Amino acid sequence: MRAPSDNVPSSQPVLMRFLVRSWEYRRPRLWVGVRVACGIFNVVLGVLLLASFHWLGPLTWLAALPLAGAALIFWKVYRLQQDSVHRVRELEQSRAHLVEDSAARFRRIERDLHDGAQAQMVAVTMKLGLAMKKLGGMIDGTGQTDLDRVLELVAAAHRGAKEAITELRDLARGIHPPVLDQGLGIALTTLAARSDLPVELVIDLPERPSAAIETIAYFCAAELLTNVTKHSGARHATLEAVHLPGLLRMRVSDDGCGGARVEARGGLVGLTERIRTVDGRLQLSSPPGGPSVVTVELPSHA
Amino acid sequence: MRIVIAEDSAVVRAGLVEILADSGHEVVAAVGNADDLLAAVDEHHPDAAVVDVRMPPGYTDEGLRAAIAIRRDRPKTGVLVFSQYIETRYAADLLGAASGGGAAGVGYLLKDRVADVEEFVEALSRVAAGGTALDPEVVTQLLGASRRNDGLGTLTVRERDVLALMAEGRSNAAIAGILVVSERSVEKHVGNIFSKLGLAPSDADHRRVLAVLRYLQS
Repeated sequence: MRAPSDNVPSSQPVLMRFLVRSWEYRRPRLWVGVRVACGIFNVVLGVLLLASFHWLGPLTWLAALPLAGAALIFWKVYRLQQDSVHRVRELEQSRAHLVEDSAARFRRIERDLHDGAQAQMVAVTMKLGLAMKKLGGMIDGTGQTDLDRVLELVAAAHRGAKEAITELRDLARGIHPPVLDQGLGIALTTLAARSDLPVELVIDLPERPSAAIETIAYFCAAELLTNVTKHSGARHATLEAVHLPGLLRMRVSDDGCGGARVEARGGLVGLTERIRTVDGRLQLSSPPGGPSVVTVELPSHA
Repeated sequence: MRIVIAEDSAVVRAGLVEILADSGHEVVAAVGNADDLLAAVDEHHPDAAVVDVRMPPGYTDEGLRAAIAIRRDRPKTGVLVFSQYIETRYAADLLGAASGGGAAGVGYLLKDRVADVEEFVEALSRVAAGGTALDPEVVTQLLGASRRNDGLGTLTVRERDVLALMAEGRSNAAIAGILVVSERSVEKHVGNIFSKLGLAPSDADHRRVLAVLRYLQS
């Protein structure tokens, strides 16, 4: 068993990143300029102090202060530059994932429509077409009187149309659950109620996160609860959603068998990637024998 | 008619079998993928094959490629391709695949058309007998694409309508019925189309096919 955080990409604390964004991101050039100017000023000051050693005498050691300050500042500038290179790489990866993910989702929706409701409706129209032909034949007197058969066809078409409606409704809900418009809390309550497992809810959402974050949170919760039902053998699950300043924290825990892992091609990797596109993170703790706890942290605004 | 059906959706396949059996045709095989289709055609030598474009394993154009293979290797089997979407490119590929037969023995319909049972069965019979059945949607799309062609550009609106119906595989009598004109005036339009497209008066049926091909390939 690997450590629970294996493969889960680490990221800066979301709140910290938010603070840095608020000033650093707004005037990046200005701040780099200020830092470099401070560094140069400190170097010049240090050199001047060193140059005036015959006046200062034993106080010449004071020159070390501005020079050390300059070193600190330049080191910081270097670190920031390294961070931004790292950040660019991270964003490129998550953007590539996002693009692929949305293309794959559209393909899946098209396939679901094509194989599901569309095929179902073609079959329905065929049955109705055949029923119409038979009825027409009866009215003309050219066909046999076979009302039972016509009724059978119409009943089959009726059944097919109802199945198509159900399929369309499920598909539409999979694209965007309408209940989400009324807020994440209500949507999660509905989700928990629909789950095959008893789910205890702890919801504290005084403010609404942005719509994109709500959607991601909802689909994460849905997938995590499905995982619990399918794989954990748990009898009970807990879904927690708490909105802290700037941060939405969601936790799904169960009393199942544990041993869940973030594996290549596994569902949790896809989830982690999706969460990463908005700078959120996913943490998994699932020792063998359980319990499993998945914590998802998302910024309030994407 | 003896018919082979290739369609991966079980509900649609069952519906097709039902419709064709009800119309007194014999469905000798109903399969769910392209390989089985080719095997069934080799085994049964059917009069016609009804083929869905998208089938396993790739769900892209497996059916279409199988249909093209059937047209190439078994010119006596009519092929009716049907799908949820009309792609003009597919129509062109299908028509281009024939060994000198042009648009003979081929059809390309939207799945929706199956709803009009009698028309669908009639289209299939036409294809089995070496005729053509192109979806009005194919014709509309091609018409949109062929505006600039010189030969076709000289056709009047009515002549275009007649040519479009010819492309769907209709006879003069059927065209007259649809356009609510006399059969004589349809004949006149057809004659005009032939002369405007520069098709010499030889075998009338062959000229029909040529006109349609000219129209489709423009």
